Amino acid sequence: MSALMTLLRLIWRDQRRALLRGALLAVLVLAMGAALLGLSGWFITAAAMAGLAGGGAVFDVFRPSAAVRFLALGRTAARYGERLATHDATLRALTGLRVRLLAARTRAPFAELARLRAAEVLNRLSADVDALDSVTLRLALPVGAGLAALVLGAAGLAWLVDARTALAVTGTLGLGGAAVLWLGVRAARAPARLAEMHAQSLRRDVIDLVTARTDLAALGRLEAHLDQIATGEDRRRALARRLDRIERRAGLALSLTGGVALALGLGGTRAGAGGLDPARVAIGLFVALALFEAIAPLRRTVGSYGRMEAAARRVVAQLTPAPRPDTPLPPDRTLRMQGVRFRHHPDSAPVLDGFDLTVPPGTRLGLKGTSGRGKSTVLALLAGQIRPEAGQVTLGGDAVAELDEAPLRRTLTLVPQRSALIQGSVADNLRLGADRCDDDTLRQVLDAVRLTDALATRGGLGTPLGARGAGLSGGESRRLVVARALLRQPDILLLDEPTEGLDPAIAAAVLNAVLDRLPGATVIVASHRAQDLARMDRVIDLDLSAPGDNA
Amino acid sequence: MSDSRPDPLRALLAPVRTAVLQGSILSLASALVWPIQAALVAAALAALLAEGEPSPGLAPWPAALGLLALFVLRALLSHMAEARLFDAADRVVADRRAAIVTREARTLRGDGAGPGAIATLAGEKLETLGPYVQRYYPAMARSAVVPVVILALAFWHAWAVGTVLLLAGPLIPLFMALIGWAAHEASARHLAGLASMTDLLVDRLAALVDIRLLDAGARVTADYAASAEDLRARTMRVLRIAFLSSTVLELFAALGVAMVAVWVGFSLLGLIAWGGSIDARTGIFLLLLAPDYFQPLRDLSAAWHDRAAARALADELADWQARTPALILGTGALAAPLPGAPEIRLSGVTLGAVTIPDAVIAPGARVGVTGPSGAGKSTLLRALAGLERPDLGTIAVCGRPLDDASADAWRARLGWMPQAPLFPQAPLRTIIAGRGALDPDLLAMAALGPVLARLPQGLDTVPGETGAGLSGGEARRVMLARMLHARPAVVLADEPTADLDPETARQVSAALMRLAAGGTTLIVASHDPDLIARMDQRIALEARP
Repeated sequence: MSALMTLLRLIWRDQRRALLRGALLAVLVLAMGAALLGLSGWFITAAAMAGLAGGGAVFDVFRPSAAVRFLALGRTAARYGERLATHDATLRALTGLRVRLLAARTRAPFAELARLRAAEVLNRLSADVDALDSVTLRLALPVGAGLAALVLGAAGLAWLVDARTALAVTGTLGLGGAAVLWLGVRAARAPARLAEMHAQSLRRDVIDLVTARTDLAALGRLEAHLDQIATGEDRRRALARRLDRIERRAGLALSLTGGVALALGLGGTRAGAGGLDPARVAIGLFVALALFEAIAPLRRTVGSYGRMEAAARRVVAQLTPAPRPDTPLPPDRTLRMQGVRFRHHPDSAPVLDGFDLTVPPGTRLGLKGTSGRGKSTVLALLAGQIRPEAGQVTLGGDAVAELDEAPLRRTLTLVPQRSALIQGSVADNLRLGADRCDDDTLRQVLDAVRLTDALATRGGLGTPLGARGAGLSGGESRRLVVARALLRQPDILLLDEPTEGLDPAIAAAVLNAVLDRLPGATVIVASHRAQDLARMDRVIDLDLSAPGDNA
Repeated sequence: MSDSRPDPLRALLAPVRTAVLQGSILSLASALVWPIQAALVAAALAALLAEGEPSPGLAPWPAALGLLALFVLRALLSHMAEARLFDAADRVVADRRAAIVTREARTLRGDGAGPGAIATLAGEKLETLGPYVQRYYPAMARSAVVPVVILALAFWHAWAVGTVLLLAGPLIPLFMALIGWAAHEASARHLAGLASMTDLLVDRLAALVDIRLLDAGARVTADYAASAEDLRARTMRVLRIAFLSSTVLELFAALGVAMVAVWVGFSLLGLIAWGGSIDARTGIFLLLLAPDYFQPLRDLSAAWHDRAAARALADELADWQARTPALILGTGALAAPLPGAPEIRLSGVTLGAVTIPDAVIAPGARVGVTGPSGAGKSTLLRALAGLERPDLGTIAVCGRPLDDASADAWRARLGWMPQAPLFPQAPLRTIIAGRGALDPDLLAMAALGPVLARLPQGLDTVPGETGAGLSGGEARRVMLARMLHARPAVVLADEPTADLDPETARQVSAALMRLAAGGTTLIVASHDPDLIARMDQRIALEARP
């Protein structure tokens, strides 16, 4: 409930005017509908009475019939406005929420990002946010407007008919609606949440399947994976069926509530006041018929509550506060690690322990060592991607992990071992890090990493790449991410295995490009190629300082 | 209907026709209860008016109870109708979903459709069939019968009322068709936008670490915000049309009802003498019926948009159906291993632009596949696993052609080590051994011991999609263990030592050579000169023109 409330407040703050307009129009629609039916009923019954009494000629027909026409047209117009206003406000709120969420994700801690599986985040962002349209369209607006319409209806009936009819009709509708809402939500909450969970895992499983289908087939595990999807789908269907049954029963109960209200409107008035004018009885009856509209939408509220509640909880949990301000870095570009200890997990052996390193500005440093000895860890620590458990990692004397993200990234660029490309053109990918570069600069850097020829027949800078950079070979992708980093002209460039998968000649050219294009910059290269390491001023062998060996 | 292409939507729903028909008839029956209820209410009100006269007619309380009983009947009928229709929709959706997932699983390469687009098609897009089946068909049945019944009742009592309804009625389908047609176009565009939006999001999220390291978060978010805003604007355009059509309908309905009300009123006052003579009871009865003359048409109009969405989906499904991508050989199921000596013969094989030299790979051979990047080394390995269909030539394994019948059994004899780790979301234990039991010796052979020691949850660790949480060398060792688990007769390894430090590369090579020493055929695509030097046969591929 509290997550839903937080979300409602958020949406209210963003789209107050549009929401208010929608809510007022919604009440207006219900009120005009009740007035229209009530007036029509009264008009005909009163006309019949006047006709029977022979007073047809003196009966004022023009004002009621004009009012009937006015209400009919006005209600239609109000309804159009209400629908547009509420949907527009809801979509605006959802768009804002989506962007806020993506922005929050781009600021999440690195550790979280690394473990983040795109398929799951996608579920969260699109499914959860989509589910939240019910918060306004199916919860806040129908309940609020329905309640307001019942109150207005009660007042109107008490004034035009009598208090007992007003109480009987609106009381039945109000209590019946509330009971259906309460009981229905209680019953539907769990299956709705579970069905949605299964729908999300179906999505994730399908994405997994399509991504890894070649491997799964080669391993003879495709059939088993399909079975797993089928089992999940069966469970989801069973839950959806249960949910549908609950929703239908809620609909049934609401219809019966409407029936009882109508019956009371008909039978109760007569028994109560004894001798009520039949035209007034007609008002009670017809208004009761119209006010059913105030509770009918609750059926949908019952069906969607569980899902929106779960979605709200997850979405609210992910909305993090704004980033820290952009204060400049200290001018000194010396990197230093002192007594650094790092473990991937508190229970595991340290990768680094008591590790010291000083890298003065402009140094070209090579890191070598067996896989798992900490080459990538040293780079990640220097880039502030992870924090040391003990010791200091500093840039110009300030702890790297405490520096402001934006200025740090302007100064220091890390190209991790597994770098990702995005869907779009080669130029889009290059501009990801340097959006103001002109095409000539981009071409120069492509030339430097020897990609010009490889891309020449495919469209050069405009070469389209598929999802995650599909369409390039491993070596081409590698060179493209290095080129992307070079365009940033960083003071400090950290490269994790920049030449893997490249032919020796091309590898040498790429490393040359890095060193030539960034004169005076600090360049740290983790590699196990002797050829790469030979180009460096200094090489540190992590195997010689590995904590496991001398501890 | 044009006979050039059968209506894809109709074909889609053919299997559940009976259930849809039953549901629609029940829904119609429920709607036909209302005229009886209206007659009851009219009789009761008329009785109040006639009080004091010789035959007062229906007393209020019995009328109220009768009314309530009819409400129960109506609600129950509609409850049953909805149950039938839900069933039908559920079956169609589940059936199509299974078909999409099964075929996509066996598709060789995505032809333009990314994982996100396929997941969207099999997921939320298919769900648009639900509202169509559950709302459009019953609304159609009600629209075909209820207005006719009410019209007949109206003409029976007063031809003026009948004429008003008759005139207002036919205009409605006309407007509906025009607007429905526009909405079909708009909703197809909207659906297309939804898929690319989702793909864009998956793509950007997959690159989040890099985006962050390049300090491009703000830019990517701004781009995404622009796309999201564009989607919102497009959605609003669809809704504006959708709402406009129902507003036009409501307008007609409201004017029709208002005219009936005014005529009845004037008539009862005796101010109008034409159009039929009615008493109070008939007047009230007709007024109560008038809104329900329009209601089924309004329901149909609301469902018209479901129909538009369902048709857009059916078209997309038909396109998907028509694509017929190349499928893998066999089904990808676990099969009994193909018997016989695992000899491989390549003769005249062409795979797209890649020409494979003829070769015979004897059991136990050690084969290096060489060639510059992009020459087709990975393609050849996939073809040897029955995961590519040669355009020309044949691949024979164990003395028989590698085809749909033999592929699964052949793969049961293969060990597969792809270049990049693409692990499904599962614990390492399952990634390595599938549903089989995990032999601890494998872990030692693949040098996984130190890796597992580092991971707090050991074999129960769930690595990320592309092996996140594992280093490149660690992921490669997991793939090695997975390959060893198959106890292969033939190993296909794509760049098994790339991205590895010398120590890990040595371990991986050693494990491969140990297998070879035990008689396993080794087919390795690699740039690594040390590894290639240890092979005793070469298949050299040339650069593509």
